[in-house]
Amino acid sequence: MRMTRDSYVALFLLALCGVFFHASFEIEVTNYGTIQSSLWPRVILTALTAMSALFLVTSLRRPDDGPVVAAGGFFRRYRNALWIFALFFAFVATLPVLGMLIGGFLFVFLALSALGPARLAVRPLAIHGAIAALAVGLMWAIFTFGLRVILPEGELLRGLV
Amino acid sequence: MIEHILGAFGEIFALGNLALMTLGVTAGLIAGSIPGFTITMAVVLTLPFTFGLPAIEGLATMIGVFVGGLSGGLMSGMLTGIPGTPSSVATTFDGFPLARSGKPGLALGLGVWSSFFGGIISAVLLVTLAPSLARVGLEFGPWDYFALVLFALTITASLSSDNLIKGIIAGVLGLLIAAIGEDEINGVARFSFGIEDLESGFSFLPVLIGLFAFSQLLSDVQDVEKARRPLMETQAAKAVRIEHWRAIKTILARWVNLLRSSLIGVFTGVLPAAGGSISNILAYDQAKKASKTPEAFGSGTPDGIIAPEAANNATAGGALITMMALGIPGDIVTAVMLGALLIHNVIPSPTFIGDNPELAYAIFIAFFLAHFIMIGTQAFCLRAFLLVVRVPAYALATVILVYCAIGVFALNNIIWDIWVLFIFGVVGLIMRNLGFPLAPIILGVVLGEVAELNLSRALAISDDLSLFVNRPWSLFFLIIAAFSLVFPWYQKHRGRHPLTLVFLPLLCLALITPLVMMNGWFRPTLGAGLGLFAMFLLIRQTRRGWRVEPPPSPGA
Repeated sequence: MRMTRDSYVALFLLALCGVFFHASFEIEVTNYGTIQSSLWPRVILTALTAMSALFLVTSLRRPDDGPVVAAGGFFRRYRNALWIFALFFAFVATLPVLGMLIGGFLFVFLALSALGPARLAVRPLAIHGAIAALAVGLMWAIFTFGLRVILPEGELLRGLV
Repeated sequence: MIEHILGAFGEIFALGNLALMTLGVTAGLIAGSIPGFTITMAVVLTLPFTFGLPAIEGLATMIGVFVGGLSGGLMSGMLTGIPGTPSSVATTFDGFPLARSGKPGLALGLGVWSSFFGGIISAVLLVTLAPSLARVGLEFGPWDYFALVLFALTITASLSSDNLIKGIIAGVLGLLIAAIGEDEINGVARFSFGIEDLESGFSFLPVLIGLFAFSQLLSDVQDVEKARRPLMETQAAKAVRIEHWRAIKTILARWVNLLRSSLIGVFTGVLPAAGGSISNILAYDQAKKASKTPEAFGSGTPDGIIAPEAANNATAGGALITMMALGIPGDIVTAVMLGALLIHNVIPSPTFIGDNPELAYAIFIAFFLAHFIMIGTQAFCLRAFLLVVRVPAYALATVILVYCAIGVFALNNIIWDIWVLFIFGVVGLIMRNLGFPLAPIILGVVLGEVAELNLSRALAISDDLSLFVNRPWSLFFLIIAAFSLVFPWYQKHRGRHPLTLVFLPLLCLALITPLVMMNGWFRPTLGAGLGLFAMFLLIRQTRRGWRVEPPPSPGA
């Protein structure tokens, strides 16, 4: 028996169940309603705990179904996904300041440049800029004028206007 | 009734709606033809556009995308050998060889028209069966509904993953996500962990778009080199003239295969979570078994194209039957549609058709019409497909990601929804990479509230838990839920393990009790019939000596 990738996942799930079980005792107890609000979540958590325990046992019995990737390999393998995570996080975090138009443009432009050709020359950068401006501008226009959705304007644009 | 049908016709055939449906079918056809861009993703991405539309227009557009997506997968499958969607995997087996043998026009024609006929057959069944099934649904009490949700989750878990435990864990995680935030019954906040935004829980759509579309896009660009290449590098896919008449004549000459495959598609669609990806393989397999020339399959035989294409489009009708009649999504796409209906304050249930007849008839008509639009736009979409596939994956994915953000923001006009999209995008990608299926988790999110509400109602009426096994429908669903859990094992060891020989007879025998308990004469008679069938199977196995095939040797 040896720890596999699935074993670590099962242990994580069991820990998650523990956290949620603990939190379920903080759910307000009411003197109305047919069932307490904590009943259903506890039913779910009992099932999840049982399945996670079973998952742990089966994962220890089975041969490894996925290698545990070393840190260096992990960053190489998930390079693009990590770029997107970081840029999207920055995009949402700065949304109140940059707004959907400027923030969206920057996100698309930077993501295209990060994921695109390894050697960035003027031409690909210009194409990325054009794609970002066209795509975000078009969607912004459709939602703002066509669907009448008030997208975040951002302090920067508000200040400029 | 007539005025509702006429009203629905008026709404569907309004110019604005026709334009939206044409746009939807076109988008579906193109999205379905691009490998890696699933139909679900196309429907999910259409959703934000429909928030501001009336319910009929919004749903008609989404039905257009659904039908278009089911038919789009055949284009890339036939012209390049790479199926556009999992629903058209089997189409490639014969479509690609036929196209390569110098008959791409006939191959495409067979695919397009089989999709059309399969869809129309399922549309007829949708119109006739959905109201009848809804009448059956009116017999359901909260116990039965709770058991139905349980069955929907177990069968999704067992069909969508090789690892049943991972499937069940995914489904239960979905239920847990749905339990976060204010509960519907007492109005008490749960699992907010001191975060104010969590007190109202997660909106369904940001979770869905995050789990499915966001994580799919990240998964598509995960490979650095592949992400930089065009979506498809193909010289073979040049503009092709579709041979319509020859294809129609070929299909009609094989009407038995068409009908059988369409029925397989509808039946698969009715089952929760068993979508086109299963039905196309099933229908292909059955067509091959029934063929007088099974050896021709794989070399470009028309039967090998007709079966999967008729089946995958027919699945859509089946999935809509369950959604409209019982409020249980037949697959992920109908789960999204259910979400769209909820946005418009329409709750699908057995009373849905009776309470919203105009909307229900509009869905029927839109489903019919979408197939005609699909035929009309196929040639244009073929050209568009050839252009779109030249775009590198990273460019398309990035643009769609920002569109996802704008789309989910439009739902409630709050930035928190974009955070939810992001968080569930990350969760979805991790789950994909760890081999957890996403279909059960999505169904869990959709059905979590339904399960809790019905459990609460059941306990409010009586605290007697034996009602879950004393009521015929509840018992029926619990039995098939239990058998669905064993199904993956049965499928894996079928014919090789002695216990698999009794799986089907046992299922039939187990279903006798609930069926005999039901009212009327038909269902008890059906129960008796199942009993006889089980006896027949058992006697046949006894005569054969309960023989099983030896397990394959490790070196084989």
